Amino acid sequence: MTDMLQVAKREIKIGLRNPWSYSFLLLFSVFSVSLLLVNSQNAVSGYSAITGSMLSLILYLLPLMTLFLGSFSLTGEKEEGSWQLLSAYPLGTMPFIIGKYAGLSVVLLTIVSFGYGLMGIISVLTGKAFELNAYLLFFAFSCGLVLLFLAAALLVGSLSRNRWQALTYSVMIWFFAVIGWTTILIAVLGQLPYLWIKPALTALTFLNPAELVRLFVVIKLGGGSVLGPEYYEWVTWIQQPGGSLLFFVVCLAWIGVSIAGVYWIWERGRSRG
Amino acid sequence: MRNRGVVPVLILAGLLLLLPALAADPASPVFAESSAEAEAAEQRLPSLQQLVDEARPGDTLVLTEEKYAGPAVITKQLTIDGGKTAILYNETAEAAIRIEAPGVIVRGVNILQEAAGEETAAVAVHADQAVLRELRIKTAGFGILLRDADEALLDRNEISWLSTSNEADVTMGQKGNGIDLYNSHDNRIERNTIAGMRDGIYLENSNGQSIEDNRLYASRYGIHCMYVKDVRILNNRGESNVTGAMIMGVRDVHVAGNIFAKQSRNVNSQGILLFDVQNSVIERNLVEGNRVGLYIELSKDNQVIGNSIVRNFIGIQFKQAEGNQIQSNDFVANVIEAEATDSRENELAGNYWDSAQGLDMNADGISEIPYRINPFYQELIAKTPAFQLFFQSPGMMFLSGMYTEQEERWAKDGAPQMKLNTALAAAAPQLAAGNMAAEPVISDQTLILIIASMLLVTAILTILYSGVSKS
Repeated sequence: MTDMLQVAKREIKIGLRNPWSYSFLLLFSVFSVSLLLVNSQNAVSGYSAITGSMLSLILYLLPLMTLFLGSFSLTGEKEEGSWQLLSAYPLGTMPFIIGKYAGLSVVLLTIVSFGYGLMGIISVLTGKAFELNAYLLFFAFSCGLVLLFLAAALLVGSLSRNRWQALTYSVMIWFFAVIGWTTILIAVLGQLPYLWIKPALTALTFLNPAELVRLFVVIKLGGGSVLGPEYYEWVTWIQQPGGSLLFFVVCLAWIGVSIAGVYWIWERGRSRG
Repeated sequence: MRNRGVVPVLILAGLLLLLPALAADPASPVFAESSAEAEAAEQRLPSLQQLVDEARPGDTLVLTEEKYAGPAVITKQLTIDGGKTAILYNETAEAAIRIEAPGVIVRGVNILQEAAGEETAAVAVHADQAVLRELRIKTAGFGILLRDADEALLDRNEISWLSTSNEADVTMGQKGNGIDLYNSHDNRIERNTIAGMRDGIYLENSNGQSIEDNRLYASRYGIHCMYVKDVRILNNRGESNVTGAMIMGVRDVHVAGNIFAKQSRNVNSQGILLFDVQNSVIERNLVEGNRVGLYIELSKDNQVIGNSIVRNFIGIQFKQAEGNQIQSNDFVANVIEAEATDSRENELAGNYWDSAQGLDMNADGISEIPYRINPFYQELIAKTPAFQLFFQSPGMMFLSGMYTEQEERWAKDGAPQMKLNTALAAAAPQLAAGNMAAEPVISDQTLILIIASMLLVTAILTILYSGVSKS
């Protein structure tokens, strides 16, 4: 436990002294203020096409940022030799990885909080305020995205040898999960027998954190009807009070599985030197 | 009429005599006993018919007892006042109250119409200038029936379906209509609440009606017009019906200010359906969360103006409809905004589309870029409904953006609005949430300010503590 806290503390310190973090902080702040401008066109409460495009904008930026910062942190350990040094100490792999994850989450959530805090204050001061519910949901949406993609980022970081490789993989995953997802799925699922399409799509949606979090927020914003009669059970499911909890559990499972994967890869690397 | 009462007495006497004999039969005693009791209870009730017969034309009949027995036929001009407490029980297949004289006023009576036959109603009106006010009707047949009855006023009545135990699962088609008009003209139907019937308000061959401020829930059609002229349907509200307003074979109808929400659970659900409708005006309605917001078939030269069409699966759908004007409506968060088959010369202009990317160069509130409705997503989900999960996902926007096939044939709004035309859409979430809680102590704005400041301060402190400090 103390090992884990030490690693996390060190990670926060390194993360918040990393110039990359500040460039992303700046980018996200500018971005969140521009979201405010987008939202000021929104005349209806609840889900609308404008909320949809705001969600998309967040989906473009946050996963990419998370993948970069997360994977670079792990490859950095390898490239700078600090992992070799740490390996000489009696430090378990699990405390190391969980510490890394916790530390990086703090760094990333600091960036997100800064952006949303700024956006919230400006929105109230300029009188273009969000609805409270929408504001909180957007914040939760961003945090969820960050936490899920961070788990993926650690996987990328542990699989790649250096920053360049991590960069390539990150962009690949980002493109696949965010932009290409629809196109690829329509192409691939179109080949399946008709009755398989919906179950396959449902299963695949659970694998893509971007879609998972997006759909949760769309339904919570009251846009459930836009998913059509095919997904009525989903919508009623998520809209009931236990739905958020269930979603939370799914996210935890996602993170848990990814971290277990990272652990396995690092252990393998450690035993083989 | 009066010697009618004798027959049940004889039956009752017979039943009472039979009772011990029936009790010997193990299967039927409960039934026999209860029906005998009910008969006995009814016999003790004062008969409304008797009171009506004793009254002189022009009298006001105040019902002071708690319970009365129907049926009653009113053949002279009378006022019957139930003071909102009197209950009229009717177990026969006749109408509990049948009005055959002009100018009859019935108000404040609770009516329980327990038997149903072919077109059996709780109240049947066969004369002009009737006034039915504040009646609370529970019926196993129709609610209020108007036949060849003109200039009636139906005001603040409540009509709902009486479910008897042995027909717990009647389908909507087997129920009766709430208010049913045939060949009855110039009536006013106002502020009624109708729930769980076949059609809430059914008009056939009846002209010059005014239907205002009614509430229609969980019925098949909220308002159903067949072959009527010159009808005004204003400020009604319908929820969870199969179709909110079904308007067929109609000319010169004015449908305005109505709210139809959540007509979506049936494959044939619509907010407002126009079939064979001409020269009518549909304006300032709000259709929210329906399968199809506004459905227009075989209809010509109608004006659809200033409606709010929010969160429907299909916002507006045309089928063989021509020359209709769709102007200044707001389309928000509909999955498919507009769909047209075999329809020409419908003019779309000056509507607000929330997914349109407009550019207003001369600041007149109208975009200089026409809005073309991209049919890619619509075609995709028509083929595979499961893909609806991709609605407005970033990848979908990306993919739709690349699709430009036959762009000149897409539905087009030549001058889309930059801002919402009406403020009605703001009412939508209130409707969805039902009765909202009272004003909270802290306003949303303040709460956002507090939360935002906390987030910002926490972020800055974390940065200062771990990033900047030297320890």
